[in-house]
Amino acid sequence: MGTNFFINDNQDVLIEILKRLDGRSLGVAACVCKLWCGIARNDSLWEHLCFRHVSQPQEGVRTVVLALGGYRRLYMVCVRPVLNRLRKWRPIGMESDSEIVRRVYWTRHEVELSLSLFCVDYYERVLLGGGGGGGGGGGGGRHGGDGARTTSLMFLCKAVNV
Amino acid sequence: MKRDRDREKTQQIHGGNSSGKAKIWEHEEEEEKDACMDELLAVLGYKVKSSDMAEVANKLEQLEMAMGTTMEDGITHLSTDTVHKNPSDLSGWVQSMLSELNNTSISTNFDENGLVESNKQNRTTIISDDDLRAIPGGAVFNNNIHKLNEPDLLSSESGSSSSTSNKRLRSSPIIDSARPVVLVDSQETGVRLVHTLMACAEAVQQENFNLADALVRHIGILAVSQSGAMRKVATYFAEALARRIYKIYPPDNSIESSYTDVLQMHFYETCPYLKFAHFTANQAILEAFTNCNKVHVVDFSLNQGMQWPALIQALALRPGGPPAFRLTGIGPPQPDNTDALQQVGWKLAQLAETIGVEFEFRGFVANSLADLDASILDIKPSETEAVAVNSVFELHRLLSRPGAIEKVLNSIKRMNPKIVTIVEQEANHNAVVFLDRFNEALHYYSTMFDSLESSLTQPVNNQDLVMSEVYLGRQICNVVTCEGSDRVERHETLSQWRVRMNLSGFDPVHLGSNAFKQASMLLALFAGGDGYRVEENDGCLMLGWHTRPLIATSAWQLTAAMASCSELTQ
Repeated sequence: MGTNFFINDNQDVLIEILKRLDGRSLGVAACVCKLWCGIARNDSLWEHLCFRHVSQPQEGVRTVVLALGGYRRLYMVCVRPVLNRLRKWRPIGMESDSEIVRRVYWTRHEVELSLSLFCVDYYERVLLGGGGGGGGGGGGGRHGGDGARTTSLMFLCKAVNV
Repeated sequence: MKRDRDREKTQQIHGGNSSGKAKIWEHEEEEEKDACMDELLAVLGYKVKSSDMAEVANKLEQLEMAMGTTMEDGITHLSTDTVHKNPSDLSGWVQSMLSELNNTSISTNFDENGLVESNKQNRTTIISDDDLRAIPGGAVFNNNIHKLNEPDLLSSESGSSSSTSNKRLRSSPIIDSARPVVLVDSQETGVRLVHTLMACAEAVQQENFNLADALVRHIGILAVSQSGAMRKVATYFAEALARRIYKIYPPDNSIESSYTDVLQMHFYETCPYLKFAHFTANQAILEAFTNCNKVHVVDFSLNQGMQWPALIQALALRPGGPPAFRLTGIGPPQPDNTDALQQVGWKLAQLAETIGVEFEFRGFVANSLADLDASILDIKPSETEAVAVNSVFELHRLLSRPGAIEKVLNSIKRMNPKIVTIVEQEANHNAVVFLDRFNEALHYYSTMFDSLESSLTQPVNNQDLVMSEVYLGRQICNVVTCEGSDRVERHETLSQWRVRMNLSGFDPVHLGSNAFKQASMLLALFAGGDGYRVEENDGCLMLGWHTRPLIATSAWQLTAAMASCSELTQ
């Protein structure tokens, strides 16, 4: 009974698996080998990651996001820090701590805010020539090659004392 | 036993240098309190009464501190040779040193509360012993006790630093200060600093420039003992006061408008005030533009156009698709005649094209908003195009010329806007009385600087912080130093603006919970976001630091009567 199953021979299965990972794991997966790296850099995976828990992804979002730099960048620059920070933040009306910490869904407001910040990032980075850029603190930038991080969003990069 | 110890000390003294004595004396005073001359110092040739020891030690310490701090500041004044008539009289020697350093014609006394009463008749230069004892006792004596606990008297560092200060004694810099400074208790000095600032402002108000001059220098010395925000605020205010006293006015604003843009960019990046302003204003504009197919925004404060990418993106993603977006930007003339407005417009156009929003831009250069007329701006009739007017930190400048604000508000009315968004500083820096303005500004900018200081938990980009401070420093300078039409930073509170807008025929538009939530989230993202507070004030949003609101966003529309009038005249 020696049918060996090599994941690398079944890329559709691989993609299905990667779709269900969280951001960090996806990043780790990209470091495994060239094949995995190529697959993990596929923007649709990151789109899925960004919006999988939003109830209704708006139409037209994809065009905008792709134009502004793609979902992978959106995730790294905006979505991840926003989720991380706001997970620890207690908005008005939230009762229990555990609910916040384990919250995976994110609301329309957070989506809008992330997209706005992403747009500002694009404007600064591409059009204003990115003042200073780089040097961001915690996290991000591991997938490099996307150019210097813009300074306006530096506040998102600073490590938060948990 | 005691003798042996003393002898040991004597040997150490011989080995060390003469200025290490400062520390030794403090030890000595703990041990011997005879009424006669101190034995050990007598051995060295100095005659000091043991009962005077504490005071002499204090004075020496102040001297050293005063020397040290002025050297830190890099103030190199003329050096004089101090002539010591009777070096063995240590008390007198120190006294003459201190009086050399106090060259002002004023002696001031601090009462218990630290308030300064100027002694107008007294023109002596000598600070008597009484003054020293008038210093609130705790500060001075606490320090003595601390010093006594220090283990190593003749450590090499203290020796070398004292020796350099000893060398400085030879060519003593002249420090103009009203009194010797006790740089001990930072909190107490902080209180004293604030009081001195206010006293100086009062002196300026009363046109007592001699006193003001002395106080300003004193502020400089006191400020060095502080750290962080307080020090910076004090320095800026001291500079502004000094400019006012010496009538050295800051250079003409129009030359530096491009520099102001740069500074504002750094301010944008360092702290959330501008972002808050932009996001809340955008939210109001977005809501006003629902169901409009053509929209026109008139921006009184274009700068680098940082507000508009977010709005363009929000319009692109609104249900039903984006409208045609027209932006008119108004800015000051550039010194090198470059068309900065067009460049900004071009960049925004590129962005709009990238995300698929129909975009058009026009720029108008004007020295002052009052120079513009609504007819130049090519306003289309309101059935075809909805107009929004946006002003971030610009309207208060109009208050420096009489009639300007009314003219601009009338122009706005003639544009028949759907919404007018105004963001202004929440402070009254436009009082008629200088002292009131000064005190208000002191509190406001102290809070501002405090928030800047705390919002960078790790100074990722120190340059941003410094530039933001320069940006605020220029405002401080304008509020304190300038008068008349030069004083453009005439901030007024939200209530004052409300009255003005109501009188001009505008009704408030409530900003709504979306704006509030978005603003709260934005602030939560900032490290140090604990200090920032978003408040809702009768439909307007205010952003503050802890309990003090600092900026306020409000939205307005024409009253029904005005709206119908405007339509008729179009």
